Amino acid sequence: MYVYTDFDRAFVHQRAAQFRDQLDRHFAGRLGDEEFRALRLQNGWYIQRHAPMARIAVPYGELSSRQLRQLARVAREFDRGYGHFTTRQNLQFNWIPLKQAADVMDLLADVDMHGIQTSGNCIRNITSDALAGIAPDEYVDPRPFCEILRQWSSLHPEFAFLPRKFKIAVTGAAEDRAAIAWHDIGLQLHKNGCGEIGFRVYVGGGMGRTPICGTLVHEFVAWQQILVFIEAIVRVYNRYGRRDNMYKARIKILVKAEGERFVKQVEDEFDAILRLDAGGDGQIIPREELDRVAACFTLPPGVAPVKSTGDGAPADAPVAYRKWLERNVQGHRLAGYRAVTLSLKRAGQAPGDVTDVQMEAAADLADRYSSGELRVTHDQNLLLPWVREADLYALWRAARDASFATPNIGLLTDMIACPGGDFCALANARSIPIAAQITERFDDLDELYDIGDIDLHISGCINSCGHHHSGHIGILGVDKDGAEWYQLTLAGSDGSTLSGGLATSAPGKVIGPSFAADEVPDAVEALIETYRRHRAASERFIDTVRRLGIEPFKTAANAVRRSTARETA
Amino acid sequence: MRFIDTQQDPWRPVEGEDGPNVTITPAPQRLLTLAQWHAVRAQWPRELPTAVAVPNDAAIEDLAEDLPRIALVVLHFPKWTDGRAYSQARLLRARYRYVGAVRATGEVLVDMMPLLSRTGFDEAQLRADQGREAAERALHFFAGHYQADVHEQRPLFLRRAAA
Repeated sequence: MYVYTDFDRAFVHQRAAQFRDQLDRHFAGRLGDEEFRALRLQNGWYIQRHAPMARIAVPYGELSSRQLRQLARVAREFDRGYGHFTTRQNLQFNWIPLKQAADVMDLLADVDMHGIQTSGNCIRNITSDALAGIAPDEYVDPRPFCEILRQWSSLHPEFAFLPRKFKIAVTGAAEDRAAIAWHDIGLQLHKNGCGEIGFRVYVGGGMGRTPICGTLVHEFVAWQQILVFIEAIVRVYNRYGRRDNMYKARIKILVKAEGERFVKQVEDEFDAILRLDAGGDGQIIPREELDRVAACFTLPPGVAPVKSTGDGAPADAPVAYRKWLERNVQGHRLAGYRAVTLSLKRAGQAPGDVTDVQMEAAADLADRYSSGELRVTHDQNLLLPWVREADLYALWRAARDASFATPNIGLLTDMIACPGGDFCALANARSIPIAAQITERFDDLDELYDIGDIDLHISGCINSCGHHHSGHIGILGVDKDGAEWYQLTLAGSDGSTLSGGLATSAPGKVIGPSFAADEVPDAVEALIETYRRHRAASERFIDTVRRLGIEPFKTAANAVRRSTARETA
Repeated sequence: MRFIDTQQDPWRPVEGEDGPNVTITPAPQRLLTLAQWHAVRAQWPRELPTAVAVPNDAAIEDLAEDLPRIALVVLHFPKWTDGRAYSQARLLRARYRYVGAVRATGEVLVDMMPLLSRTGFDEAQLRADQGREAAERALHFFAGHYQADVHEQRPLFLRRAAA
């Protein structure tokens, strides 16, 4: 993991002090609601349905056990004892009184954490592959670059008030596990023919009302020049992005409207920075800086390749363990090691939610089995990156006792869901009850295994925090006459291999008018049953949908309508 | 940062006249709109420094050639959350090496001070309800930053390497 320098540590404390000053002025009546709003957002503080929501940055998803324990403490002492991991690898608290916000930021700064730019119209927390640095299919470890980008984007003075939010995701592997095509900037590290490292740069992806996948604007930006290239992109956006209509303000609209002209503008700006600007070439990353940062991302103490022991299953290991091995344990670049996902998708708890006790338990597991390190995954689970094969069985038993061992990773119940209308002031409908109903409906593990790999994504509104656009099955909450309705989409795709890879990233297609809340589990079941009826041998859900098209699925889903039957007739 | 008291400010706009069709008599301490400046720049005495107010959607590049004749560039924040003028200021300083004054007007709030200062503004006309003391304080929360800015042309990684 990245190790904070004295500068980094002082910086987050200074940010906490600045926020305390703003909070004090707000409560003293010297900083109005509207003006304080933009300031608190850039520190991660929203005002939600019940209370403020605090979004804490977990840069590129890397978390230490010490940090997780501090998050547990905040949950216990300031919140109602739980938090929620998001698709952007952050953690959200829901119940902290604003009066205590500055105290929470101080506590977080003590463990090198903050909420800097987790909201607002600025460059947000950089996300990455949850298997960064450990994936067998990785070309280049993206983490040092993520950290350099994190530093570059933190309180960048020119880009604090962009037309709209701005999200960057970075991967360095063959498989895209960070949905980079869905980001304002998606970066894919790769090596060119000469073995040099650079970035494939996608710009203008995003969800919301207008789901668009990013456009490839450069095949190879040398790593040394990536800050200059990104500065060029963000400057063009800051100057020319639309500000007259919030729904047309994301960079995707500019890229779509300008097309090749946008690419040309970025290239010209890039040249101008290097050729003309005072200090322009000072942003070229020196080898020494990359080495300094990369030195933090070497193997943790005590971790070294060992002779593979297989999966360590005793002869009498229960079936549940074998299922867990199959679903929750992934390959590792180091011989003798595996990556283990702690499932945060289980009956009785919202997807991505963890209690303070569970956070402590996960921190203990990380200390015992993973060199004190964890990752937050894009799919809202936790992952232990440094598990020895020899420890797998012991870890499974401990994870099971702590409720983390549901063997459902990648299956229907491992769904992505936003907090929805139960918490979020923006939501049109609730997500959590829908997630709970589907989890209940598909509680039979054998059935789940039979259905196999599938991405189910639920958003409570068109802001798409639950990434419904990229779900093989997407569920979107909509509001009609004050009631909750749900639109179903089919055949959406993130960049994963399962979905067909980066090039097939695409939004799903809507299947007819919205469903009533109580029809949704039936409609999902109808989609699944249609798949099971028509699938070819070893064909996965998304492949069957692509082969058959959406019509048979649409027909099956429409057939289960009850309250909405009349309007579709 | 110099805080501007409009009562004391020597720069005077050409009131009641707008657009390129009016005649503006060259005089010291004129604050012209960009449109006015474009109308008179060819005739304006080269030794007579002037001030030009630039809207935040104007291409700052178009002013580049005239910068040696301009003593003050006034940039505008129609809303404080509209960050376009930060890019204009940064370009004035870093790309066009402009050494005259750069002033922030419009909705200028104390919490913008660090951003204004780092992108090259050296004058701020605070919105009437904003306190100068809080603005001064806002400038001093951070001992340093990661990126380069107009005051510190080296990002942290180069400063560290040089240390």
